Amino acid sequence: MSSQLVDEIADIAMNNTEADSSQTHSHEATSSTNAEDASSSNTANPTGTEGQASRQSNLQRIQQRKQQVYNWPHNKKLLKLAIYSACQTPDCNCNGWKTPMPQQPGKNNPRADNQPLAGFNDPCRNCSHILEKHVTQLQGLQVTEINRLLGAVVDVENIFMSMHREEDHNTKQVYYYLFKILRKCILTRSQPRIEGPLGQPPFERPSIAKAITNFVLYKFNSLPQREWQTMYDLAKMFLHCFNHWNFETPSVRKLQVSNPEDISAYQINYTRWLVFCHVPAFCDSLPHYETSLVFGRTLLRAVFKSVCRQLMDKCHSERDRMPPEKRVLVLTHFPRFLALLEEEIFSVNSPIWDPDFKQIPPNHLQQILDNKTTNRRGGEFERVTTTGDSKDGFTTVTLSSGTIKQEGGKRAAELSVGAKRRRARSADTDVSERAVAEIVATVCDPAYMCGPDALFQMQAPRDEAAKLEEQRKLIEFHVIGNSLTGPVNKQTMLWLIGLHNVFSHQLPEMTKEYISQLVFDPKHKTLALIKEGRPIGGICFRTFNSQGFSEIVFCAVTSNEQVKGYGTHLMNHLKDYHIRNNILHFLTFADEFAIGYFKKQGFSKDIKLPRAMYQGYIKDYEGATLMHCELNPRIVYTQFTAVIRTQKEIVKKLIDMRQKEVRKIYPGLTCFKEGVRSIPVECIPGLRETGWRAGAGPGIGAGPGARAADDEPDLAALRTVLHTVKNHAAAWPFLKPVDKTDVPDYYDHIKYPMDLRTMGERLKSRYYVSKRLFIADMTRIFTNCRLYNSPDTDYYRCANTLEKYFQTKMKEVGLWDK
Amino acid sequence: MPLTADVAAQQVQERLRSLHRLIYDIEPERVRNEQCIESILRAEKAAESTQSTDDSSGSSQQQIMQLKNLYKSGLTAAEQEERLLRAALSRIYEIRTIKNERRIQARHAGNKETIGCGALMKMLLSAAQTLPLHVGRVGERAPALCGAVPADAGHVARPGDAVAALVRVSDKEENWILAEVVSWLPAQGKYEVDDIDEEQKNRHVLSKRRVVPLPLMRADPRTDEHALFPKGAVVMALYPQTTCFYRAVVNRLPASAADPYEVLFEDSSYADGYSPPERVAQRYVIAIKEGKGRAT
Repeated sequence: MSSQLVDEIADIAMNNTEADSSQTHSHEATSSTNAEDASSSNTANPTGTEGQASRQSNLQRIQQRKQQVYNWPHNKKLLKLAIYSACQTPDCNCNGWKTPMPQQPGKNNPRADNQPLAGFNDPCRNCSHILEKHVTQLQGLQVTEINRLLGAVVDVENIFMSMHREEDHNTKQVYYYLFKILRKCILTRSQPRIEGPLGQPPFERPSIAKAITNFVLYKFNSLPQREWQTMYDLAKMFLHCFNHWNFETPSVRKLQVSNPEDISAYQINYTRWLVFCHVPAFCDSLPHYETSLVFGRTLLRAVFKSVCRQLMDKCHSERDRMPPEKRVLVLTHFPRFLALLEEEIFSVNSPIWDPDFKQIPPNHLQQILDNKTTNRRGGEFERVTTTGDSKDGFTTVTLSSGTIKQEGGKRAAELSVGAKRRRARSADTDVSERAVAEIVATVCDPAYMCGPDALFQMQAPRDEAAKLEEQRKLIEFHVIGNSLTGPVNKQTMLWLIGLHNVFSHQLPEMTKEYISQLVFDPKHKTLALIKEGRPIGGICFRTFNSQGFSEIVFCAVTSNEQVKGYGTHLMNHLKDYHIRNNILHFLTFADEFAIGYFKKQGFSKDIKLPRAMYQGYIKDYEGATLMHCELNPRIVYTQFTAVIRTQKEIVKKLIDMRQKEVRKIYPGLTCFKEGVRSIPVECIPGLRETGWRAGAGPGIGAGPGARAADDEPDLAALRTVLHTVKNHAAAWPFLKPVDKTDVPDYYDHIKYPMDLRTMGERLKSRYYVSKRLFIADMTRIFTNCRLYNSPDTDYYRCANTLEKYFQTKMKEVGLWDK
Repeated sequence: MPLTADVAAQQVQERLRSLHRLIYDIEPERVRNEQCIESILRAEKAAESTQSTDDSSGSSQQQIMQLKNLYKSGLTAAEQEERLLRAALSRIYEIRTIKNERRIQARHAGNKETIGCGALMKMLLSAAQTLPLHVGRVGERAPALCGAVPADAGHVARPGDAVAALVRVSDKEENWILAEVVSWLPAQGKYEVDDIDEEQKNRHVLSKRRVVPLPLMRADPRTDEHALFPKGAVVMALYPQTTCFYRAVVNRLPASAADPYEVLFEDSSYADGYSPPERVAQRYVIAIKEGKGRAT
């Protein structure tokens, strides 16, 4: 079971295809058809079938290709090798046959098999000696040797592709270095040897693998066998992930580490890792070494924290797909294991790094260890053979460091980090850190809000008032529950009774007995909202730890305290509480009055949990709707609105600053009066200075207006407009298609019906290739309505109101130019 | 006259500046008044002592004259202070009117986001807190629509005025809701009113007797207790955090002008038939209209 666990964890870790480009590309290189997919997969959703497919294909495809090449007829093999072989004509310097026809200009593609087959008598473009002259030396070679060279050829081509796509300058150079080595060894028919300042593996002793085995012996020796086995499994899991880890490039790392010595040490280790571990994993002509066996303490110290963080994040986000027992292993034991390990890694004198560390394991444990060593030829550097061991064979653990951080930045504390990240991405539109700090200081200043906004501000976040009261200690939140085994203090009991009263008053359709039965049940807990010492609201829930979700049973705020944002704040507290306890799903049966509330709290009728997870666990209510909410552990929900607001203010402020910098007034365009129908956007004077770039989205300084001039409609803007229109109070008649049973003659009069739902669907399917289509559909809704209804009807009035509103909104986003 | 957000903001700024100046003017005036009163008190004491010891009419006559003069200047000073205070108050009411006006215009323009529930409740609360306070002159009785004083018989509510309106919510049920007058239709003797809760988005045309205007001023319990409902009175009160009026019994009167009533709502879900005490502002407590609108 244990090894299976390890594999599964590895699968999980690999499930994500968001690897940064260099690594994915190298694996994808053999697939000509999917080469483009590989680059696009960086932005695509990491989960789902696409990710699965490309993961499976990585190494398999390389192996398949090699097999295919090995099965070629002998002559074809020679034709292929000729490209990489020196001309044997005396005194000729040519080191590779080239097709006489020039290839497509600009595409220096070394892959020969797509080109028309050459013949042995075709002259070389380089030296004009015939092809046969390039392969005479290969004639007598053994098939295995020929195949070995062909394998190297495939690898050379893959490395070439990877090099081509790699954006990081240093990594590119490493690829180029390996490319040259492999080419040379094909040319000279020798084994590749990597020499030079990088040194030879192992680079440090004891190795990471050894130290971690030591760690398990040192720390857990006293545990009973089963628990020891668990720790041992976790250690294996960690090593496995580490061996398949994609390290971040030194240039990325520079942004986090300031010590130049650390960076240069990391740079050396990173290069070693590329050359000896990473690239050889998919180019098996090169000698391959496991990361954990050749590196030691230095590398582990450098990367441990980020590896742990990402590993745990990954585990959390993948938790739903794990079987329960593994979830416990991963979510309960693993963090503890990592914390203990961390101590040893950073401690100055931990015995686990002692090269002579000796601890005699108990007998039963020794057996496990022995098993392992015979399987793995422990201590030897083994070669990953990718065939036959397909589960283990994929080399990407794609918890790459870049991706997670880019989507992050939601926690309040990460605000400034977010600003730094921006800097990393686009140096040219950079904002100095001082400027950012100043902006943050301004927008956080309570005196900042002034002008008309301050006087008429209506749209405060729903939970703001409640948050303020909590800050002033006017209200408190407590998770309380009854117990039948331990003592329950009087305060808790009084609160539970108070909550019982609140629930029974607010939920008259539930009997009091039923409410008692659940509120006082020890398996149920209630998040209580306490004001002036007594509960005025609460959420009663039951957590199913084994199923990874909580059922929300009752949720109410006493009637005279409603509409003050308490409900939202309660739910946010409940979310944070659950994230702290590693439960990331809420399910609830909502009655017709509660659906609206739960929708506002991020619940959806679309249940993403598999039925088997909750059926038989959750209480079923007739006439109620099951709703589901998935929590994102990266969000602190009680701070969410404030953080988003601050971010918005920062961006607004940045735009402001930029506008001040480039303020300049140009006279209006006159060319249209002179009869010109249209001009390219970039010809409009001043537009470039605002930071507008063709093709790019609106950068800092380029407001939505710049985008409006584009032919491509801004789908996000259309979506926003459609969303706000849908939410307008006058939108109700147009939300869905007119029902023929309700209005039998409607379709006799209206030939081109349209409604907001259909527009939503069209938007989703990218039907609106221009904003004109969008406006036309919307206008159609209103003209239809006015056509069918008389002016004194509510419908007619709604159409007028909503049309005005729609136009206002379109103007606001700069999409209205009539 | 379109009252855009900018224009409104400008007008409010103007009032705020004026208010700011007035508050600065009030302070020296108050100091002057205090000095006045002090000298009056001193003069009175002196007069008393001379009266008891000495009967020489010449000096007492002089003292009385001096006192009279002091009283006179004290009066003018007090009037001056009152004038300033009233001016300052009127600035506050003007701001309130401008904001209300702006809100109504925005609402009718149709390009305003629906006000969220929470914001609506906040607005209702602040509208009640900033309701003008009636500060009567000596001997003046509280006017109509101040506190519990009902409207005059011929009173017609103006557009924008807040009212309680009895509307039919279903075949069987009628509710007193909080609404706003859109217009008065003299020919039919009916009001056109809007539900204050925009999410309902219902315009109602109701006969006059189904519309009860809310107080336009608060009564100060220290000066106008007669303009408040007495303890035990059955009233219609806005249930906290809702926009509906229900029958309730006055449990405690406001202690100060800024204080709300404490009322008990009729509520059959409680054992004694009444809710626990709830606090409701003067603006949202009105005289009961018998026969209609029983809370259900």
